[in-house]
Amino acid sequence: MTTRAVTLAGTWVYRLALLVVLTLPSVHAQQTREDLARQLPASDLSGEQAQRSARQFLAAPGFALARVADNPLAPQATPVGEKVCIACHQLESEHFTHTVHALGLHAAAKADPAIPVCETCHGPGSAHARDPAGKGLILGFTRSSATPVAQQTRTCLTCHEGGARDHWAGSIHQRNDLSCSDCHNPMARFSGDGLLTKRSINDTCAQCHNDVRMQFSRRSHMPLAEGQMSCVDCHNPHGSLTAPLLKTATVNETCYQCHAEKRGPFLFEHAPVRQNCLTCHTPHGSNQHALLVAPVPFLCQQCHSQLGHPNDLLTPASLANGAHPDERLMGRACLTCHAQIHGSNAPSGPKFHE
Amino acid sequence: MPLQSFARAALPLAVLMVLSAASRADSGRGVDLEFGNALLTRAGGANETPDARGTSWLRLGQRRSPSGNLYSCPLEPPTLQEIGEWEIDGHVQFGWIGTYGDEDNALWSRYVRWDSGLILGLLDLALRRPADGSYANVRASRISSDDAFFDAAFGRAGSYKVQAFLRELPNATSDSAISIWNGVGSNELTLLPGLAPGASSSGQVAAVAAGVTPQRLQVVRSKTGLGFDAYLTPRWTAYAKLSNEQRSGARPFGGAFFYNFLFPENAGALETLRPVEDSTLNFNGGLRFVGARWRMDVAYDGSFYRDTYRRFRFESPFALTPTRPGATSAPIYQGQFALEPDNDYHNLRSSFTRRLPWNGELRVSAAAGRMSQDDGLIAPIDCSGTFGVDIDGSGVPSATNRFLHNCSDWNTPAALSRDSADLRIDTYSFDSRVTLQPSSRLNLRGGVRFNREDYRNTYLAYNPLTGDYGYITENGAQASIQAGALGTWNPLTSPSVITRVRSLPLDRETHAADLGADWRLAERRTLGLSLTTQRNEPTHRERRRVVEDSAKLSFVDRSLDWLTLRANYTWLDQHGDRYVPDPYASAYSTSLPGFVAPVGGVPAFTVDAMRKYDLADRREHKLDLMATVAPADDMTLSAGLRGDWNDYGAQIGRQAYDRTGAHLQWEWQPSPLTHASVHYGIDRARLRMANVADVVFGPDGSLGGPDYPLNARWWAYDKQRNRTAGATLDHRFGPVRIDAGWSLVDARGLTTYRFDSPVALAYFADGLDGARSGSFPATRYRVDSLTLGLSFALSPRFSVRVFDYYERGRVDDWHYLGLDTARVIDHRVYSDGGPQGYTTNLIGVLLDVRL
Repeated sequence: MTTRAVTLAGTWVYRLALLVVLTLPSVHAQQTREDLARQLPASDLSGEQAQRSARQFLAAPGFALARVADNPLAPQATPVGEKVCIACHQLESEHFTHTVHALGLHAAAKADPAIPVCETCHGPGSAHARDPAGKGLILGFTRSSATPVAQQTRTCLTCHEGGARDHWAGSIHQRNDLSCSDCHNPMARFSGDGLLTKRSINDTCAQCHNDVRMQFSRRSHMPLAEGQMSCVDCHNPHGSLTAPLLKTATVNETCYQCHAEKRGPFLFEHAPVRQNCLTCHTPHGSNQHALLVAPVPFLCQQCHSQLGHPNDLLTPASLANGAHPDERLMGRACLTCHAQIHGSNAPSGPKFHE
Repeated sequence: MPLQSFARAALPLAVLMVLSAASRADSGRGVDLEFGNALLTRAGGANETPDARGTSWLRLGQRRSPSGNLYSCPLEPPTLQEIGEWEIDGHVQFGWIGTYGDEDNALWSRYVRWDSGLILGLLDLALRRPADGSYANVRASRISSDDAFFDAAFGRAGSYKVQAFLRELPNATSDSAISIWNGVGSNELTLLPGLAPGASSSGQVAAVAAGVTPQRLQVVRSKTGLGFDAYLTPRWTAYAKLSNEQRSGARPFGGAFFYNFLFPENAGALETLRPVEDSTLNFNGGLRFVGARWRMDVAYDGSFYRDTYRRFRFESPFALTPTRPGATSAPIYQGQFALEPDNDYHNLRSSFTRRLPWNGELRVSAAAGRMSQDDGLIAPIDCSGTFGVDIDGSGVPSATNRFLHNCSDWNTPAALSRDSADLRIDTYSFDSRVTLQPSSRLNLRGGVRFNREDYRNTYLAYNPLTGDYGYITENGAQASIQAGALGTWNPLTSPSVITRVRSLPLDRETHAADLGADWRLAERRTLGLSLTTQRNEPTHRERRRVVEDSAKLSFVDRSLDWLTLRANYTWLDQHGDRYVPDPYASAYSTSLPGFVAPVGGVPAFTVDAMRKYDLADRREHKLDLMATVAPADDMTLSAGLRGDWNDYGAQIGRQAYDRTGAHLQWEWQPSPLTHASVHYGIDRARLRMANVADVVFGPDGSLGGPDYPLNARWWAYDKQRNRTAGATLDHRFGPVRIDAGWSLVDARGLTTYRFDSPVALAYFADGLDGARSGSFPATRYRVDSLTLGLSFALSPRFSVRVFDYYERGRVDDWHYLGLDTARVIDHRVYSDGGPQGYTTNLIGVLLDVRL
């Protein structure tokens, strides 16, 4: 009951403060960083909050090893505790509180006072508190921060190393100087999952890969625009064994994740199909039917010049409204007869007719 | 292991793991990592209210990411309800939507199924227990019975997560299917009343087709899944995910009864409608360790595909007539396909990483897998009585009536060399990688990679009942039109027939190595170089060795506050050993002892000058420029330029494939209450290819020889151009939010051709007018869409959203020209009329309630 009363009182104090701030923005804006620094409360690293907690839990294993991050640009800095940070960063704290990071870190900090909250990611805060405008005195993750990108990612990997990030070092995104905070913003909840900078995975990737996103609006496409699929169904942006960041060892294995029927092996296989689905298909979007890279029959005629019928040039006169319609050109063209083009399990299917 | 047995074994195991510990999906494995639908991406979002106070008291406006993109404004913090130790936040959005216009159009509803009526837009419920970091989330949406998801998760932050989901994903496959068969969706198509199998004329089939109402076809994926992630200790984690997907529906397919183009008023080419009825069970699980020096990940992936049907049967309506005067064709009409075989997939992989001095890492990954199937094989032909050509009118196969064959010799699995497929591919991969940072200005990296696919077992097409090798072509139609063209080789009766007698194992190995360095020229400026070589060694392909060498230069500059520039240039050279145009001899009857070369010699398999583009020599230049500019504190301008030029060393085959593109995007966030964006993009693709027609079936495969004369050459040139544009505006006036969006997709394709002489043409007479070039009608795809939405808060708990989403699509595809007036053309049946244009309007009224 007491706790509830304290919470209520705190809420009203906050609302009052908010009202003052909103009605007097100019007064607030005139405060310098130094003014704010002088008003900071004393450091709070006593674990008092943990002792107050009605029930004691052990820190969750994922946060049990969380410690104050290293900041090479502020080697003398010491931790100050969350309360000191919030004194200036009240609004950030409000937004942060509703993230899964905050949930876990707060719970862990209650269980073990050695576990920091803000300083787990931002490093020790004393130097920054003394000189809020000092460049690099706190680990920052934004454009204007003096913290190098490599240090930013290293800080995140302190807890998030391994797993999906196992191949981060040397990956294309790492080499292009991307930071975790280019795609993630753990300071507020923008996305359903993953603490992304945008509402969805696809929106996040499109910040840089808008050209790829446009391909998903073509006539045949994977269902990304419809929200049924996301970029990370095929790619692992954190690095993988392959250059295009595929999440499996080969293109085909990635496709088989949703097209398991194409896996076979078949009694009769089509060599380029087994070699690479992308021989005939373009993965993001195509102006042709079924993500094909070129219109049939020309797609097939790039490789097939065998004796017989595959190598004849067909003209518009062989369309259904032409002088001599020809099934090699109309509709599904070659695939009308060679329907099992991905491989046939029929003993009479070497040419994928059955 | 049968699927059911596996499921029985795996499910309790998964549940046990869940209860003992429990899940977190991550980008490193599996699919289904995010759930959504077209409503949420195009018209939803009424509940998302940006916090008018912005991000920080200390600084107005939004900060930028290290790459220079503006961060979004955070949403208003939720108002939490407290129940005991738990805090609850949630809202539900529900209401009514209506679609008007061409609502069944397959392009409009390709991956979405709108049903007019009541819908659940979104249920979003979050529970938190701050005391220990426990949480539970539920997200669900249902816009129709075929388009819905439910995703629930609970866990404790940093400890465990359990996730379960259900989802329905529609995929429209045709909106204009005219079926002359009963049984669409099943594996048995029987002709509609009024049509006699194997005895109907083209006119009769056309008359029946004309009376059929077009129908919409779709395939719906229904997925369920359960997964967990758990920290066993701060260093060890375990994870597992089990999902089952069922697909149900039908789609346009094919059906071959030999060449109608060659035999007018004869044979048959049928676009059937095949069933898609299958399920796939996927399992993924593993154990990870992350220590101060070592990391480890050991995982297993299993996938088990099961098709409801082994075979798909259909009836052909058309009678067959032999080319031999005075003879008759056996009345065959039953067509068949073997549907995709049930298959099992296992993959075990592990990865070990060791920290090295100089801030380095050594990573070693290895994996071994197996894909296998042992489906029962269908018979070579599905007929009863006889097939082939009856030359003496007796209707009985005999030594004198030798072109007529007993179905009983071929319509049984006893006519096969074995009754099941018994095929397997074993896969192995190894990857090792080192990264080092000898100084703060230099990063070094290098790696080697190895992949191998081993085919186990091959299939021999041999009929122990007859002693024949080979197979029955096109459901027996060829043998019933061309007397003697059974398609089989026999050392005694047909020793010179060239036919396929074996499956083709496509074993291959890939070796690759790469080396690279990144120099930090200045604090925020990096120059990188990567050198890669890859050797691909396929078997039974035109080349035994294909080598890809590449060099890539990268440049990143973030040194200016207002600009991030990324530039990449790649040079790639693909080459290999001698190109052999016919590496398939071992799979043909020419390799069998007792084969006798036909008079005139064994015909060339193909023209020697053909170079299949996946193996051909290739020179590639690829350039990619990306810039992110901050013209003002509240704006971001993103621009990109890219080009990819591929030159293939091929006289016949693909010769060039070039793609270029540019895009521009402007975003404006003047305040938390306003957001606007504009984008434009254009890209082009150019594909050049060449081919040559053959004039005689001879043994000389040389280009310019008697079989492939130079004057039979032809070239095709395909050009594609895409433009996209769009604009969005989102603004709040007090309790009212308006949002608007416009987008345009405009694609145009043109395929042109030229040829040396009419010999190149399928129809010689078409070239007699003297013209040596032409083009197909342009393909076109254009979609204009407009969204207008209005949301207003009735109270802190209730808000209403009204929206209108208008979309108009136009499509022209020359493949389907003329099929709007006739679906039956001689002995050809086209069930699908191709993509159609549409105009639709979706309106909705949704009530958003904060719970």
